[in-house]
Amino acid sequence: MEFLEWFMPTVWFVILALFLLLYVILDGFDLGVGILSLTSPGESQRTILMTSLGNVWDANETWLVLMGGALFGAFPLAYGTILKALYGPIYLMILGLILRAVAFEFRENATTKRPWNLMFGIGSLLAAASQGICLGTVLSGIPTDAAGHFTGSAWIWVNPSSLLVALTLIQGYVLIGSTYLILKTSGELQRLHVRTARLAAATTLVGALLITVTAPFASDTLRQRLFDPAFLPFFVVLPLLGVVLIVQLYRSLAMRQEVWPFVYTVFLFILSFLGLGVMVFPAVIPPSVMIFQASSSVSSMVFMLTFIGVLIPIMLFYNIYNYIAFRGKVSAE
Amino acid sequence: MFAGLDVVTLSRLQFALTAIFHMLWPVLSTGMAIFLVVLEALWLRTRNPLYYHQSRFWAKLYVLNFGIGVASGLPMEFQFGTNWAPLSEFAGDFFGSVLGFEGAMAFMLEAGFLGIMLFGWHKVPPAIHFLSTVMVAFGANLSVFWILSANSWLQSPSGGTFSDGHFHVQNYFAAINNPFMVRSVIHMALATVETSMLVVAAISAWSLMRQKAPEFFLFSFQLALVILLAVAPLQILAGHESAVQVAELQPTKLAAIEALWDDQPAGTSPAWAVLAAPDEASGRNRWSLSVPRAFSWILETRPRLSQPLRGLNSWPADQRPPMVGLLFYSFRLMVAVGLAAAALMAISLLLWWRGGLSAASFARWPWFSWAWILSAPAGYLAIEAGWVVRCVGRQPWTVYGELRTTDAASVLPAAEVLTSLSVFAVIYSVLLVLALYFGARIIARGPDLTLEPPNGLAAASLSVPDASS
Repeated sequence: MEFLEWFMPTVWFVILALFLLLYVILDGFDLGVGILSLTSPGESQRTILMTSLGNVWDANETWLVLMGGALFGAFPLAYGTILKALYGPIYLMILGLILRAVAFEFRENATTKRPWNLMFGIGSLLAAASQGICLGTVLSGIPTDAAGHFTGSAWIWVNPSSLLVALTLIQGYVLIGSTYLILKTSGELQRLHVRTARLAAATTLVGALLITVTAPFASDTLRQRLFDPAFLPFFVVLPLLGVVLIVQLYRSLAMRQEVWPFVYTVFLFILSFLGLGVMVFPAVIPPSVMIFQASSSVSSMVFMLTFIGVLIPIMLFYNIYNYIAFRGKVSAE
Repeated sequence: MFAGLDVVTLSRLQFALTAIFHMLWPVLSTGMAIFLVVLEALWLRTRNPLYYHQSRFWAKLYVLNFGIGVASGLPMEFQFGTNWAPLSEFAGDFFGSVLGFEGAMAFMLEAGFLGIMLFGWHKVPPAIHFLSTVMVAFGANLSVFWILSANSWLQSPSGGTFSDGHFHVQNYFAAINNPFMVRSVIHMALATVETSMLVVAAISAWSLMRQKAPEFFLFSFQLALVILLAVAPLQILAGHESAVQVAELQPTKLAAIEALWDDQPAGTSPAWAVLAAPDEASGRNRWSLSVPRAFSWILETRPRLSQPLRGLNSWPADQRPPMVGLLFYSFRLMVAVGLAAAALMAISLLLWWRGGLSAASFARWPWFSWAWILSAPAGYLAIEAGWVVRCVGRQPWTVYGELRTTDAASVLPAAEVLTSLSVFAVIYSVLLVLALYFGARIIARGPDLTLEPPNGLAAASLSVPDASS
């Protein structure tokens, strides 16, 4: 039992991290394409952008729903405390996702596309920004009492460091959206998004550097973790790998490769994600509530694992099949 | 309008508003998905392009509906954390797991195959496409199962123990299969099919009244009617069975939906109120229009009550539901719609049987067309009314008998909840109008009968016309 009480929360932390990572990569490029659609030169190009998402955006958004449900089941305390602390940005995100989704369906049936184009782009931008604010606020820490209940103000998420994370996440989404479009488009539109990818890679890099430099000032816990000798190898290797990936990304863009820019960007996302995970683990409500305190009962976690654990490979399988069925360039039908 | 209300009331209003709005969309995603499976099976069997065009047309409405359903579902899940954190902590062990299962089993299945179902006609083999449609329908109906299991658990918590402010699960299967689960799932699943088919029939009747694509819509109408004839009687039975179960497990709710104030001993034969003006302050009905001796016939189908019934006055005010009038009339609205729809189906069947149901009948008898057209909004009203009975009737409890709604809500600044509530109220009103507008456009444009069926299958339909029909 001792072992399970340590092991099961860890397993669920990893599964939740996996769901969140899949969400950030998959809906990340959806939202990135949505933001980029604001800059589309014309209606036919925008139609191609939106068609490239038609068959996937909904499944991609579902990873967030899944993450929410699993967080609720595995760490009910964290679910309550974090969502309560982030009341404002969570509802802004929901608003953005609602606008994005309905604009998608309404535009399809509308003769005047303009209002729905704007709604689609702005919804995507709002969702991306709010997600960044949520991430930034959680990283810099959520004040709680001994029982793990939120004690901070309703405006805790309004601060420079969460704004910085939000801006950077938007850049990251635009980057992965651009590289997805390089994969799915051709000709003039593809060349446009090679340019947006270059630009977004640079701005993402600047943002990531600023976050790294300012992290020690954002919270004591982060500072201790960053300068903890035990974690030193991580914090040396991860940035080095990051530099290698950025160089490779620029090279593949220069060589006009179609698949590799997306692949390198996905690896950059995974790397950043690992970095953030190492910074907070084993806290689930940073800085003070650990996964062991916030978790549901061991039997509950085992029960959930038997069902959801079996389903993870099945879900991955049919999601991948969906991408395979629609592989290749998008054409404006 | 909402200023001055306390945060619990505001959070309840927000949950009610978002739930009532959200409920409108999954109804079609679940019920119409089954219709789409039937159409595609017919298409694959007969290769008759009519069925292919049916699939494509109804799928257009399906996807418009689906997008809004997904989007408006997000606040449902997140509210458990943002506004109902004490409930999340209290019941997270079970309730959270079930929402997790729903995501992994139902939502993902539906969403993962939806793209292929909508856009994959020319991308994947027909068998895979059919499988995708089946999976979308299966996923949607699995969410009915999980949501109703979770909600039924709030109504009749079981499968574990309550101590130090938590629910501790001892038997997950007993918690999932709680006393209300089976009948609630059946009642709701039938409701989605019935209302979806009322929508198909209503749109068909509207188009037939205007003689638009008469052959096409006469078929849609007849198929919907056949499904309705199978479902509607079952639904009346399922509704009755649910009410019997409420009488047994939630006597306060039964007393409220019947505005029953005083105890009724076993062996008596009380009157059944058709209409009444319940007055909570004085604990009686100001007036009522009743059918003598009907209560026991309706509840137990026998002349006298076999069990005593408790009246609302036998509970302290803080242990029974408020808003008795709302519950009383919501219940009657639901029942009336169910019975009226069944009567309309019976009349239509009679016409059909006597050979009087043709595309021309809809133009000849506008009252007949309008009865069908109005049945669609009535179906939605019945579902909403049913949920009002279910969830307002559970008050003052969130977890029946265990956790009060006042203790389940987060302590938040009222201004914060007021803001999100107001934004939802505005956005959802606009969305509803827009969805109806675009839905009307799809209907006005009608089916595209020139769509080429996927390669290979078109040729088959030319060489072997109506092979198996």
